[in-house]
This record gives sequence, C-alpha cells and structure tokens, in this order.
Amino acid sequence: MKKKEISPIDVLMLIPGVGFILLFIGSSIFLTFVQSFGLFSITGKSLFTLENWKAILQARESIDSLLFSLKMGVLSSIGTVVVAFPVALFFRKGGTGKGILGSIIKVPLFIPALVAAFLILNLISYHGLVNTFLMRLHLISEPFRMLNDKFGWGVVFIQIWKNLPFVLLIIMASLASIRDDTIDAARNLGAGYWSILFRIYIPLAMPGILVSMILMFIKAFGDFPICSVAGPIYPASMAQRMQIMATIYQEWDQAAVLGVMIIVTAFIVIWAYSRLAEFVKGVD
Amino acid sequence: MSNLRIKNLTKRFDEVLAVDNLSLEVANGEFVTLLGPSGCGKTTTLRVIAGFSYPDEGEIFFGDRIMNNISPNKRNTAMCFQSYALFPHMSVWNNISFGLKMQKIPIQEQKKRVSKVMGMLGIENLEKRKPGQLSGGQQQRVALARAIVTEPQVLLFDEPLSNLDAKLRVQVRVEIREMQKRLGITTIYVTHDQDEALAISDRIVVMNQGHIEQLGDPYTIYRKPETSFVAGFIGLANIYEGTIVAKAGRKCTVEAPFGKLDIVFDAKKVPEEGKKVKFVWRPEDMKFYTKGAPNRIKGKIMQSVFMGNITDIFMDVQGNKMRAQIDESRKLIAGDIIDFSIPEDAFSILRR
Repeated sequence: MKKKEISPIDVLMLIPGVGFILLFIGSSIFLTFVQSFGLFSITGKSLFTLENWKAILQARESIDSLLFSLKMGVLSSIGTVVVAFPVALFFRKGGTGKGILGSIIKVPLFIPALVAAFLILNLISYHGLVNTFLMRLHLISEPFRMLNDKFGWGVVFIQIWKNLPFVLLIIMASLASIRDDTIDAARNLGAGYWSILFRIYIPLAMPGILVSMILMFIKAFGDFPICSVAGPIYPASMAQRMQIMATIYQEWDQAAVLGVMIIVTAFIVIWAYSRLAEFVKGVD
Repeated sequence: MSNLRIKNLTKRFDEVLAVDNLSLEVANGEFVTLLGPSGCGKTTTLRVIAGFSYPDEGEIFFGDRIMNNISPNKRNTAMCFQSYALFPHMSVWNNISFGLKMQKIPIQEQKKRVSKVMGMLGIENLEKRKPGQLSGGQQQRVALARAIVTEPQVLLFDEPLSNLDAKLRVQVRVEIREMQKRLGITTIYVTHDQDEALAISDRIVVMNQGHIEQLGDPYTIYRKPETSFVAGFIGLANIYEGTIVAKAGRKCTVEAPFGKLDIVFDAKKVPEEGKKVKFVWRPEDMKFYTKGAPNRIKGKIMQSVFMGNITDIFMDVQGNKMRAQIDESRKLIAGDIIDFSIPEDAFSILRR
C-alpha cells in the first residue's frame, strides 16, 4: 500500500496540539533535566555538577518522600480501580436507581481536590463523623487516627473518593464494549460469576483498567493538595518536598532533581503497568 | 422418552407477550427448528431453554428434570450465537477448551477432545489464532467446535448462519447437520430462513406471534400447510377462498373466484358441501396445459422472469393474481394468453 504523505495542511493542523506539547512541555522537561545537573539554573548560574543529585539521593527525607509518593500512587490507583470496577459492573447491568446513583457518584468530579480534602476531613478526622458514629455504637473505645496518619490511609481514602467518578467513566466505557453475547456464551459454557469476572470482564476491560491506573498513579504520585491537608507530618510527598526545597531552602536545582525523579518514576510505573496488563490479558 | 420438554411456556416482556402458552417435546437426538419472522418468539424460547431468561409460566424439562430455576451455567446446554460470541482475547484453542475448563475436565482429556473436534471441523491449523484473525466461516466453525466439545445434553443455535454469504451458508449448514447426526445431540435451531429450516431439520416448529402455527416434518410443513401464515411464510403460495359445490369421498368441486376446481383433499380434512374453504397450492404445481389434464386455467401473462432452472410467471386469471413456476423452457412474453393446469392433489385446505 502506498504510504500517505503528510501535506503542509496536515502539519498546520498538528501545530496547535503537538507544537504546544513540544515547545512548552518538552522544553520544560528538558530544562528541569539540565537544571538538575546545574545547567541553565533558575538562579542564573550554569555549571555542570552532580552535587544536586548527590544531595538529594543522600538525604533520607528525599528517599522517604519518594517511597511515600510511590506508595500513595500505587495504593490509590489500585484502590480506585478496585472500588470503581464493581460499581461499573452494576451500571453495565442496569437496574433501579441507576440514574440517581450515577448522578450522585459524579459529584466529586466537580469538586476541586483541595476542597474535596477539606470535605473529607469532616468525615474521617479524629473527631469526625465516622469516629463519632463508631464511638456512639460502642464499636471502638477511642477514635481511629484516619487523617494525617503516618501510613497515609487518609490520603488514599480521599484520592479514591475524589477520582472514583473519573475512573468509573473510563471503566464503564471499557465494559460497555463487551457484548452481552460474549457473557452469555461464557455462562452457557458453565462459567460462574467469578470465572466470568476473571476470565472475561477483567481481561476485556483491561485497556480501560490500565489507562485508569496510569492516570490515577500519576495524579496520586505527584499530588500536592491532598497530601498537604490529609498526609502525614513526615514524610512529605514528592511534590511537597519539591515545594519545600524550592521555596523554603531556595534549592531550585535540587527541586529539579526531584522533578526528574517524579517524571522518570512515572515512566517506569507506566511501563510496569502495561507489562502487567499484557500479562493479565494473556492469561486466557 | 423426550430429551427436552416445554410445557405451556409463557414469557412476557412488560406488556408484550413474547411466547404464548407454547408446548413442545423433542426426542433424544432430534433436530428441531424454530422458524418464524422477527418477533415471533423463537429466540425468546431458545433463551428460556438456555436459561438466559426465566419463564413467567410453564415448565422446561431436560429428561425428567425440571430446569426452570437452574442457572445457565448448570444446564449442560451449549449455544451457537448469531454473532458467534467468541472470546476475542482468547486463542481458538482456548475458546474451544473454555467449556471443558469450566467443567474441570483433566488437561490431558481436554487436549484430546479439543484436538478431535478441531479435526472434525477442519480447523486444526487455526489453534493459535485469535477470533479477529479468522473469516466468518472459520469463526462459525470455532463457535460450533466450542459448543459440541462439551458434549451438551441440548445444542442450541440462534440464527448461526445469518452473517455468512449464501454459498458458505449452504456449506456450513450441511456441516452442522452432519455433525449433529454423527454425535446424536438433541438440537434446537432458530432461524427465519425457510430454506435453511427445510434443509436441516427433522421437524420444524413454525411460530407466529408467540404461538405455534404448525409443527411437522419439512415435507408436511411445505406440502400440507395448515394456515395461510405457514403457506405464505414457507415458500410461495397461491391462496384463495371458494365454496364446496360437490363432494364425492375425498374429491370435491370448489367454486373459486376464477372458476371451478376439482380438488382431492386429505381424508381427514374433507369439508362439508356448501361450506366456504380457504385453500392453497404452490406455484411450482402449475403446469402448461396438456390434453386431459385437470383444472384448466387460462391466464394472461403479466410478467415472466427467467431464473435459469425455472421461469417465474406472474399472471392474471379473470382479475385474480396468480403465480406459477415452470421448469419447461418456453419463451413467454407479457400479454400472452396461456393455458395452465393444476393437479387435483396439489391443494391443501387451510384452517385460517
């Protein structure tokens, strides 16, 4: 087949989208990368050095921040998909109250992350509704620490609540593409509920699951507002650490190192997720 | 004993009565086709047998076991879908072995059975391909293999050939019938294609608006339709009304709008003299008139269509439209006046 040539009109049409990405985002990433080695520094200096990398990698706080953000990214992405998938399956099947439930579940989509974090505070804070309720029922003798806890469960909880509708929309679209006949065929051949879930629904919805997990990971890994409100005192998230390094310590080049670490980690995790998805898809 | 028994099945979807008090018995190893137009309830009946929907009234028996509340995965049926419904993420091999895995058949046995079925259907070279890499005919064979490999008690087909081209449709239907005969699996086949139903079935159930219009072997359904619907739905038909003016045993003289006809009816169905009757004969029963032939009809050719093996003739007989299909080679032109005859035993009396 003859390869279609790109005309000047095609190039013009691509410029607003691709041009913007290359010029602004590409150049920003490039600058962050070279600044991490002391070049084109925001302070005006430009001298190649590995000192910024040494300082960050040797600081316990940075490594703890990296591990904490990784943990938040992985748990939030898995958690959101695990919560969203059954809801999406329910919506696929339909049933009474689908419309109202669908509207309610989309509410967090329209609330900014910082506002969402404050809203959830009322719910899961030390003297919040959940603890008050459990205490009133005498199910616990003292309140649970669900907010600003050392592990970061509060952050994971808010991430899941905030991003559930977004992930739900992606997974619902994936599930909608599965034909009813395919499910009927599996049932007809003897597959029970769990077999259909693991052998049909999940592998066939894997593209949507994968996209959701990647987007959720990137959001949670690079999160600033939710970690600021609901995260532990120590460690800070990578984004918080960047802000501390840049604005408090005025170490802009070390902040650039953290920025590069965020970008590289995001790429590695995206690659790992896609490998995982291929593996799950391949198991038939 | 019958392998499948449907007793007074009724199924509604809101206000719509999809299946209306349907009863049917299917013998072990029998091939029964549910035939009818869209919306007649044939697919609903099939889905109730498979367990995808549950009856509002009535019972389904496999052998002597009532199946009404048994979920589809525990029914031991296997269905071939119109869309094939192959699992798009699985290889051909894994599609076919899916049912065996669900039944927890040992892996060695699985391999043996899948290989055997693939060999029977001539698809052994496709085992590693995904459904998206197969042609329609190949996909249909894989779907058939996936269904029969589980050795189901009842094999179900939901218009399985409707997505294939005409030539392949004939080829695959022959394969399905041969396979079913060889394995002796009780089969329910749903189609709206009368040729397919006539070619493939032991018995045909003609359905209309949720109920059975007529049940019988293909010959009876075609040659002796009982209602205008069956006569009109299966094959081409000339349907008229007339009055019995004379009767001698099975032989009657009927006063039709275009003249008198001598008709030999089936012994059980001979109506009384003076009674109005509706009757049918097939276009291919009409012949060019030869001396001494019964039921001479003079018709004016309105249109004549040469179709290779036959000539399809649309004619006017005293203001009544009639159709004839003649296999004799003779050039006919619109406006020609031709004498035809109809054999006395070519007619069937219709209930309604």
